[in-house]
Amino acid sequence: MFSALDISTSALVAQRVRLNTVSGNIANMSSLKDETGNAKPYQARQVVFQTHDELSTSSGASGVKVAEIRHDEAEPLYRYQPDHPLAIKEGERKGYVAYPNIDLTTQMVDALEATRAYEANVGVMEISKNLGRETLSIIA
Amino acid sequence: MSPLSRPTLSPLPPLPKPPAAPHFPGTEQAAGASENSFVDLVAGQFQEVNGLQQNADGMVHQMLTGGDVNQAEVLTAVQKADLAFRMMMQVRNKLIDAYQQVQQIQI
Repeated sequence: MFSALDISTSALVAQRVRLNTVSGNIANMSSLKDETGNAKPYQARQVVFQTHDELSTSSGASGVKVAEIRHDEAEPLYRYQPDHPLAIKEGERKGYVAYPNIDLTTQMVDALEATRAYEANVGVMEISKNLGRETLSIIA
Repeated sequence: MSPLSRPTLSPLPPLPKPPAAPHFPGTEQAAGASENSFVDLVAGQFQEVNGLQQNADGMVHQMLTGGDVNQAEVLTAVQKADLAFRMMMQVRNKLIDAYQQVQQIQI
């Protein structure tokens, strides 16, 4: 009974991490510098989930955990802004500014999916909880 | 009248040896293991419920004081403690019920 709750909790934690990365992606939609201050546009983060063996039960059900948060290596978006201080100085892209290649629609759909998954897992927890309470009425 | 004839009584058989002094559990673990196992079981379960509640308490405290814990994990811990406590209360009610029924036996 408790392992069902633990598995659902692992999913809640994982989906929360996913939602955090989506908010990070949307927040950094126009970040032109990385965390050290170099002129490098933000790369979208993607969460990769994997099954969590430590939470697995004898019946074969297993939890979920975040395997890695990988960086999207997509080509940045180039916008022609020659007066921008971060504009590329020489080469074939002279005068262009590199912007993060983040698709707002994809991010919003991802956020929505994470929310629905979260709700589904809360629903499963509700069911496990009610099952536990109902089982107690056997002895009462 | 003839005197009442006395039936001849056969000598009583020797009394059986009294059973050995009752063994109280707890004094010797090896001999009393089967006797106090129920007490151990109940006490162990109560300890476990207490542990779950203390764990939930600690996590709630951590969350309220700005610690790095996930809300879902905290609430799950509280829910586990709640379910375990309910289970413990039902077992306790059953035990008290059984005790009272035995007490009401007319002798």
